[in-house]
Amino acid sequence: MTAVDRSRLPPVTSSAPATFPAVRRVVGAGGLHIWTVPHRRTELVTLALLIPAGAAADPSGCAGLAGFTADLLDDGTRARNGIELHEALGRLGARFGGDVSSDATVLSVSALPRHAGDVLALLLEVATEPRFDGADVDRVRALRLNRIAQLRHAAGVVADRAWRRVLYGEHPYGHSALGETGTLGPLGGDDVRAFHAAHYRLDRATLIIAGDDAALEAAVQRAGGGGTVGRAPLPLPDPPADPAPPSVRLTFIPREGAVQSEIRVGHLGIARSADDFHAVRVMDMVLGGQFTSRLNMNLREARGYTYGVRSTFDARRGRGPFDVATAVDAAVTADAVRETIDELRAIRDARPITGEELAIAKPALTLGFPRAFETSGQVARGALRLALFDLPDDEYTKFVPRVEAVDAAAATAAARRRLDPDALAVVVVGPPEVRASLGGLGLGEPVEATPDGAVAVRP
Amino acid sequence: MTGSSAAEIPHVKVTLDNGLDVIVHEDRHCPIVAVNLWYHVGSKNERPGRTGFAHLFEHLMFEGSAHHPDGYFRPLQEAGAALNGSTSTDRTNYWEVVPRGALERALWMESDRMGHLLPALTQEKLDNQRDVVLNERRQRYENQPYGMVSLVLDEAHFPPDHPYHWPVIGSVEDLHAADLDHVREFFATYYHPANASLAVAGDVGVDEAVNLARAYFGAIPAGGAPAPVVAPAVDPRERAASLLLTDRVELPRLYLTWTSPALYAEDDAELDLASEILGGGKSSRLYRALLHDRQWATDVSVHQYSQELCGMFSVIATAAPGRRLDDLDRVIADELARLAADGPSDDELRRARNRLEADFAARRESLGGFGGRSDLLNNYNVMAGRPDYLAEDLARYAGATPESIAAAVGRRLDPATRIALSVVPAGAADRALLGATPVEAS
Repeated sequence: MTAVDRSRLPPVTSSAPATFPAVRRVVGAGGLHIWTVPHRRTELVTLALLIPAGAAADPSGCAGLAGFTADLLDDGTRARNGIELHEALGRLGARFGGDVSSDATVLSVSALPRHAGDVLALLLEVATEPRFDGADVDRVRALRLNRIAQLRHAAGVVADRAWRRVLYGEHPYGHSALGETGTLGPLGGDDVRAFHAAHYRLDRATLIIAGDDAALEAAVQRAGGGGTVGRAPLPLPDPPADPAPPSVRLTFIPREGAVQSEIRVGHLGIARSADDFHAVRVMDMVLGGQFTSRLNMNLREARGYTYGVRSTFDARRGRGPFDVATAVDAAVTADAVRETIDELRAIRDARPITGEELAIAKPALTLGFPRAFETSGQVARGALRLALFDLPDDEYTKFVPRVEAVDAAAATAAARRRLDPDALAVVVVGPPEVRASLGGLGLGEPVEATPDGAVAVRP
Repeated sequence: MTGSSAAEIPHVKVTLDNGLDVIVHEDRHCPIVAVNLWYHVGSKNERPGRTGFAHLFEHLMFEGSAHHPDGYFRPLQEAGAALNGSTSTDRTNYWEVVPRGALERALWMESDRMGHLLPALTQEKLDNQRDVVLNERRQRYENQPYGMVSLVLDEAHFPPDHPYHWPVIGSVEDLHAADLDHVREFFATYYHPANASLAVAGDVGVDEAVNLARAYFGAIPAGGAPAPVVAPAVDPRERAASLLLTDRVELPRLYLTWTSPALYAEDDAELDLASEILGGGKSSRLYRALLHDRQWATDVSVHQYSQELCGMFSVIATAAPGRRLDDLDRVIADELARLAADGPSDDELRRARNRLEADFAARRESLGGFGGRSDLLNNYNVMAGRPDYLAEDLARYAGATPESIAAAVGRRLDPATRIALSVVPAGAADRALLGATPVEAS
């Protein structure tokens, strides 16, 4: 045995490039767009029905309706009540999930491949023939109102809620799918039925199926699919317009006895359609998008303020938030905010992104790319993003060269264009005694709010 | 369950001369390789006064080793890797998922910290990671609704000299007391090949992977086998209690808990199935009884959490506004008694089995990370003594019957051996179980 050379790390040799499977498209009963995505592993088949309406589609004053509607789907269909439905799912070993984001509702189910056809039939039944029984409507609304009340005590959730309100106010992105006590409380069966009728239309939905060939064939057959079609433009709603800038820079929500402060710092980010999407991804990796980022190495590894800090550009159909999120030892709250703002300033000017930093950030994305499409669930989510953001089929093939093309100048340009340290808004949820220390941050005096009160500190 | 060949994870196991188990699973579907390394040490190996140390040590493993004294994230992230580690009561694991071309780098680094950690260790690193862990404790326990419950329950179930008495995260006082001598002693005792298991899974040939493992790990001295942890006998009847914890929460929540069979012990699989029958999804018995038919609770969940020395079975339910936890307790007790008396129906058992079968399949979808195939192989190797335990594991569920489940529930979930914990908001002690004794979380 030859001794290992420990004087240097082994170099990384090139690996086979990752490829995203070719999407095939057919039209099913009711005009449903069906995308099949062959997956090389066969443990599970994943089915995901994309309804292009999420929390942002909640009518004005009805925050929470999209989430409420999705929650009620599996409480019974025309043919069977909720218990019978879940018994049927259980016999197939299937777990049903509904995820409501701002832009979309995704109903998904994964199951053993041999059940693909039966699971498909149940998924479509749930989506298109819900019962919306009055007793279920009342019961599920009560559960969701209780959930809202419970979350008043989860500091991170309180910070997220306030952050959305500060950044977006009454804009469609200004509330979560859960909604608010005041808006969810009055909603009834008629509201739910109207939302369902308007948005759960098969001719506007996309069904993604990822699995082995036999499972795909069985599922497509059950959906009445036939005749391969080309990629038709999906009837997606227009993305929401940009919100007005926040009128309050610093919001403080006292939490008696808290040992940590939850902190959010940021401003409006980018839409998925932004022309510098890949440059922003690279820049964000350097700033706060991975463990070795500037923010984490500073706040966690150098100073020990936190268990972790992360920055995110949440690229949606419209412009999503850019934020830095962390929870820190309460004693260093103001210091942590200050360090964060300093990092946001420095990456634009004093310490622009270096070639050495790009040598970590870019390979993390490009060499790490094959990991993104290992499981049927990951592959299905990849196809969902193509559908939701109307991206071309070769989007993932082009990901690696596009990231590789981002040089230091392009990354710094993205920082200068997409980060504005003079327009930051900050939310802090922490013990009352840290309030006084926040006045010196240059963001004005903190405006105080309560966990469930009107944080809508903007026009 | 079927026990078909689809449930197998084909692999080869080789034990190196220094005692390191090397398990290789070849799968060429995706150009990535998962590296997964288990050390058979967790918080159960700690001593009172030095709690939290196994986990703090795990943090230090990412801070550098003799030949790469800087952080471990950079060279791996720049190679396209995902990486992480975790500590439980029983074991500590470390993993990387790398593109095929970075496999040697991952093995170089794992072997360097197994063989050569201490020269890179500094007081500064220890102090920094202590602060990070104290913040982890604040974030995940102290500042979370119901966050201190697991600490209270472990203290209540197990006497102070029992290895499950203290939490994995440790006490604040003990974390402050940890020093470099502790780190050195801990490393010498537990971090060596004979106390570890390496799994390599993915786009690599078996011979190549074994040869690489031998090249990188083969020269590390074996080390002695750590003394097995022996738990003192506990009589659950003597520990049975009804406790009351006040927390910053909106709604009262009831925790009914029992010490239960260890991982893979008799009745463990039966209680897994019972937890699914009682609390798995909206057609489960307790969901129907508490949320659907009565609407007395806002959530209910049931878990058989099995560990190496023993398990813990828990029923957790949150009271709807206006409901007292005694109301929930009565319903739960009735449902447990009914399951113990009559067992599940054939259809209930079939549903529970099918869902667990799909859960196993979901775990097998990925090569790496927490719960993927490489982690599963190591889990079986360390906890069951052989990596090919999967078929036998599944057979436990296939072999369970309505009668065996009823018997397990009756035998293991005796009301006279349970610890009940009522967690209520300040000023709402009247909604707790009647007669519950107040406790403080530390």
